Amino acid sequence: MTISLNHPLVKKSQSLIALFLLCLFISLLSDKFMTSANLWNVLRQISVNVCISVGMTLVVLMAGIDLSVGSVLGFTAAVCAGLLKNGLAFETMDLFVGFTVLGAILVSVLIGLVLGLFNGWVITKFSIPPFVATLAMLTIARGLTMLYTAGIPISNLGTEFEFIGSGWMLGIPVPVWISIFMVLIVVFLTNKTTFGRYIYAIGGNEKAAFLSGININKIKLAVYGIAGMMAAVGGVLVTSRLNSAQPNAGTSYELDSIAAVVIGGTSLSGGIGTVTGTVIGAVIIGVLNNGLVLLDVSPFWQQVVKGFVILLAVIIDKMNQKNK
Amino acid sequence: MKKKYIYILAFLIIAILGYNSVYFKKLSDIKKVKKESFDFKAFADSIYYKGILKSKKTIALTDLIASIRANQEAAFKKHGNRLGIGNSAYFMIKSTGKIIDIKDGIYTIADKKNGVVFIDTKYIFGNDLRDASGLVKLTDFKTNAQFNKVSESLNEIVRNEIIPKETKNVKLGDSISFSGAIKLNKKQTLFTDLLIIPSQIKLQ
Repeated sequence: MTISLNHPLVKKSQSLIALFLLCLFISLLSDKFMTSANLWNVLRQISVNVCISVGMTLVVLMAGIDLSVGSVLGFTAAVCAGLLKNGLAFETMDLFVGFTVLGAILVSVLIGLVLGLFNGWVITKFSIPPFVATLAMLTIARGLTMLYTAGIPISNLGTEFEFIGSGWMLGIPVPVWISIFMVLIVVFLTNKTTFGRYIYAIGGNEKAAFLSGININKIKLAVYGIAGMMAAVGGVLVTSRLNSAQPNAGTSYELDSIAAVVIGGTSLSGGIGTVTGTVIGAVIIGVLNNGLVLLDVSPFWQQVVKGFVILLAVIIDKMNQKNK
Repeated sequence: MKKKYIYILAFLIIAILGYNSVYFKKLSDIKKVKKESFDFKAFADSIYYKGILKSKKTIALTDLIASIRANQEAAFKKHGNRLGIGNSAYFMIKSTGKIIDIKDGIYTIADKKNGVVFIDTKYIFGNDLRDASGLVKLTDFKTNAQFNKVSESLNEIVRNEIIPKETKNVKLGDSISFSGAIKLNKKQTLFTDLLIIPSQIKLQ
């Protein structure tokens, strides 16, 4: 039995095939790639991008884009670290409000939600293109991060917090567990709820979705809110891994996240794509980054290669759409 | 009726999360405890004033470059400090030069003997000063966090106390003498455009 390149099964699994070929290629050139230590390291590294990208998938499925996720990650990470380390001091009341690890994480995720909702509100209320609205938030959140941290990292956040980013549970790194949990939530949302169906409907044809009675603004608001929350979770992972919140954390993460979504087969015009595809996309980006480092490729060339891979993914996406 | 139970459940979850998220204390008690615990500021003070400023390991940048060119291994071993086994090491250096540019706290110095070097007077963080000094050992501390806290305190002293005082009257075109930490790599062949984390800047 022969299977042609146009076979639906091949088309459906093209990201997975690309990942397999990439792994094969790198493992032939570097004997360090297929070691368990390196593979766990890759998974640990991509867990941040996975968290951001699954949120981004919902946005892109709705034919939107969120350029602010990197900056939101940076700001929420800084707030999380700041609360954990310094708490809140009220001199006049002689009161100190301290935050446990859980408290600091919850507050930062809530801030992520609020920033995401703000994006959604601006987009729906003023009919501003998502590209512009989230670009504005990118700058706002980065500025807020610099103001909050005064440009200086917030370090030494304690071993309990460090465990989230560096610890192991049942033989698997904790950040990998967290990213799996996030993926499962979003997979459930997209596949098993009406909310998920509405997202696909809006992305497929917004006008038709509106005419069929879907409250588009409400769904958009929720989706951008989720994207903000996911960015905040990514921020917690980055901060705990470094045991430090860097003022420039998350810079250009939005690009890796969009790349993961596109490589994973989600159409930038909305309505088509899956969360699992995005996860494969994030793994491809992670493996590519890791492979280029192992092969001692200059960081400047790494960017060029990554750019071409994204371009290739978009071209394949366009060709698939044309064939349909 | 069903909604009522959902609200009660949501309230309970929020209450439990809230109870486990924050704690309240008297601010004065917190300040008191901080004073009684290990005083990183005092420790960093003694490292800076008694150690770094009087260190005999601080070498003239020209001499360091010459000795690296003559025998890299020996120079790294004699003048450098490092924690791990990598190719990089930290050095405490001193030199003189003329300020030819000041931008965002970074002083560009034309060093007659060593070309252009940069002194970062604003973003003083990282472990450069601690590690270059060679005076603080990881094994002296129970956790990495404590070890890093020394860097933080040391950087704070230089950033907030020393540099603002010493650069108050320094302006473009002035000649200065300076000392500080640099990181060099064994693969490095060019020794211009070095970034120095300062420990001292003096108007000449």
